[in-house]
Amino acid sequence: MAQAGSIVSPDEGNEKQPLGLLLVAIPVLLIVWLVIWPIISAVIDTLWRSDGHGHVGFDASSYVFFFTDTYSLNNLALTLWTTGICAALLLICCLPIALYLRFGRGRITGYVQTLAILPLFVPSIILAYAFIRVLGPNGFYDIVLHGLGLPKLRTPYLTPWGPVIGLVWDNIPLTVLILLSGLGSVKDQAVEAARDVGANRLQVLRHIIMPTISNSILVALSFAVLGIFSAFTLPYLLGPASPEMMGPFMQRTFDDVNDPVAAVTQAVISFAFCILFGLFYVRSVARNQGRQP
Amino acid sequence: MTAITATSQKAPISSLATIRTKADLAGITLAIILTLAVIVPLLVVALWAFSEVWRYPHLLPQQFGLRFWNQTLSRDDVWDALGLSLRLSTVVVAVAAVICLPASYAFSRMRFFGRDTLFLSFLAAHAFPKFGLLVTIAAIFLRLDLIGTFWGVALIQLVNILMFMIWIPVAAFQAIDKRMEEAARDVGAGPLRVFWSITLPQAAPTIIAALLLSFVTTFYETDGAWLIGAPEIRTTPVLMIGFINNEMVIQYGAVLSVLLWVPSAIALIFARRFIGGDAFARGFGG
Amino acid sequence: MAVLKIENVSKIFQGGTTAVDDLSLEVSDGELVCLLGPSGSGKSTLLRMVGGFERPTQGKIFIDEADITDQWPERRPTAMVFQSHALWSHMNVFKNVAFGLRLRGLPAAEIRQNVEGVLEMVGLAGYGKRMIHQLSGGQQQRVALARSLVLEPKILLLDEPFASLDQHLRERLREEVRDIQQRLKITTLFVTHGQDEALSMADRIVVMRDGRTEQIGRPDAVYRKPLTPFVAGFIGTMNLVEGQVMRGAFTRAGIRVPLPVADGPATLAVRPEALDLIAAEPGQAQVHRITDFGTHGIVDLELSDGTRLKSMATQPNALRPGQGVDLVPRALTVYRESREIYRDVHD
Repeated sequence: MAQAGSIVSPDEGNEKQPLGLLLVAIPVLLIVWLVIWPIISAVIDTLWRSDGHGHVGFDASSYVFFFTDTYSLNNLALTLWTTGICAALLLICCLPIALYLRFGRGRITGYVQTLAILPLFVPSIILAYAFIRVLGPNGFYDIVLHGLGLPKLRTPYLTPWGPVIGLVWDNIPLTVLILLSGLGSVKDQAVEAARDVGANRLQVLRHIIMPTISNSILVALSFAVLGIFSAFTLPYLLGPASPEMMGPFMQRTFDDVNDPVAAVTQAVISFAFCILFGLFYVRSVARNQGRQP
Repeated sequence: MTAITATSQKAPISSLATIRTKADLAGITLAIILTLAVIVPLLVVALWAFSEVWRYPHLLPQQFGLRFWNQTLSRDDVWDALGLSLRLSTVVVAVAAVICLPASYAFSRMRFFGRDTLFLSFLAAHAFPKFGLLVTIAAIFLRLDLIGTFWGVALIQLVNILMFMIWIPVAAFQAIDKRMEEAARDVGAGPLRVFWSITLPQAAPTIIAALLLSFVTTFYETDGAWLIGAPEIRTTPVLMIGFINNEMVIQYGAVLSVLLWVPSAIALIFARRFIGGDAFARGFGG
Repeated sequence: MAVLKIENVSKIFQGGTTAVDDLSLEVSDGELVCLLGPSGSGKSTLLRMVGGFERPTQGKIFIDEADITDQWPERRPTAMVFQSHALWSHMNVFKNVAFGLRLRGLPAAEIRQNVEGVLEMVGLAGYGKRMIHQLSGGQQQRVALARSLVLEPKILLLDEPFASLDQHLRERLREEVRDIQQRLKITTLFVTHGQDEALSMADRIVVMRDGRTEQIGRPDAVYRKPLTPFVAGFIGTMNLVEGQVMRGAFTRAGIRVPLPVADGPATLAVRPEALDLIAAEPGQAQVHRITDFGTHGIVDLELSDGTRLKSMATQPNALRPGQGVDLVPRALTVYRESREIYRDVHD
């Protein structure tokens, strides 16, 4: 095999090597079969449908139904609202954490870092359970408030804010990590030079740091949006029954209502709403890849 | 991960040193907020797992004990779910290792037609809203009668970890000095021997970490297991959803959470030591 | 023991870069030949072709008359010491050295004996149990050398083995490697870009440039009689002055050196130690700076057009900056179009 592999230098790729293709074939075929093909087939199956007499033709009725059905539209609106709020909250929470981890010199940076990364290691199902025990009715924070003689919390459990809190919690680590990796390219000397010419901390943030990490922010947001838009477990367990987010909506349509075509239509609509973020994500990873071969 | 690199990069910044006390204030504020948001919920779950009676509005459980551990651990559905999850994760990770490690090696060391494009194609699984993708796969599985079967769930999990299992080992293989392999050829080792005696041991820590990560990810994956598997295939997270939705005894869920979370956290923290910041950050495009 | 023959070998990489261009070389039995040249001159590529890690685009390579051009590295009787050491960090010292012997299926006792013998030879007796990261850079390089020597190769290949070491250690290892090589009488090809290394170790030096040999010869010959201005400039310090030969004399900014060559452009090459100075006012050149090294001094000179020259003086204190001097070359070489056209060696 690696007559090819280990000794031929990269410059020597002109020899055709079917062996390499052979070795990567199975994973690639899996991706084609279980990612690429389902997406293509989803679009085709929802647009070219049998009319019941064996005649297959163009038929966008499932989309027409979705966009005229108040319930579906409400679900979509809730999803967009949740995604937007989560993205904004994530940025508000994670940017200070990342900035502190990059520039802070206190002794507790290690502690802050551990805590910020910890949710990465907590499965969302355990998170959902903990959420209910803490923020649910008569949850731990209610107990604490009661003990302090304060009124009870208006619990976010089973309201649209439930999934928002859960999803933000869940996405903090990756957002912090991506922002941190972006902040890694902010040179200490650039900051020092800016302060040297008289910029205060806010001006340093605005003119030196933000322009450098804007790409990382976009990547972090794309990643969060892709994860949040069709999140299932947290909205399903923590969110309201109606309207519901696209994730639970699709699951119910598929399993309970037993209408795969409608469920797939909802999936395609989700794809359409996220396509820009997906493309951006792929583009920046690909570019990153090119930078460090 | 990236965080590890970030700490090491942290060189003293003289111009910011003057505001050290202020920065520390910011740190303390962040630490308190994060403690309340991250540690307290996990502690509460742990408390619940070891409490026998905890009625509102008592700040702490009135009675601690292991009664619910016994009860939880004597439930058949818990053991069935744990067994199934373990079997599923083992099978999925084993299959992934068999098909992905040779592929990773090929990606990192060989040249072939369409190499870069094929390599990036693994991003596709993460470039779409995940549950939407799952639904479209489910529609295909419906025609193949894979819904509600072990292998249906296994396939979903396999796709889920494919990118991990390709990208992280590729980074590991690429990090190995090619001269090490050449030196082995030089003293008389054939290509297969080089791979077995030099390349694989060198990449082993990272690859083990990737396997561990994949195992834990598969073990806890909820969305796909619920959509494709439930109710016939009840993995542990699926069982947990049941506990959250329908179970009157709060402690069952708590015990299961603690039981599952502690080993996985240890495993993952271990994994994190071995996976370089690059491998991770690259996977996320940071 | 072994003769290495390289015949008209060329290497053209995929992008079209010619790394080695129609090069021929014979290394005789027990000889140590240094490939010397700037980076990108093709010396490493040539070495890697001998080791089997690159395949020549053209030409043949023979070891003892056997054509090995198409043989895999594991089948060749060559052993390579890499610049980066390329030690296997997951094995200890003993296992690193023993790996090749184990592949040959030698009995354990014999392996142990051989490994311990070679470790002793490189000065690492008793280090077998150490892990690679516990060794210093110099020790790592000794392990790499031991790993190659233990296989008793016909040809030893060294690819800038001391490049990552500090000056002091480099000089010591240089001597040790040379001693071992002479004791074992092993045919060796050595790549370096350091002229000191080449001059002190080699039986013969091959000066390479752009994939071709510029000059092949014994160290003293290469030093004293560089065939081209490139070799003259690359090895040692050399004053290279470009000027014109007119009516039997080389001229440039006030200097005039009578030469028996035809008129035309020419490059004059004079070693600092072959350039004597005579105080004169105003003189052909001006003393710019004097650096005293104790045993000798280096005098920086400036011609009237700003050209800088160096002269080695045994009595540097006799001169002072700003003073005028006349130049008296004791030995010189003249080049035209990169070819030597005249040489005058007095001593």
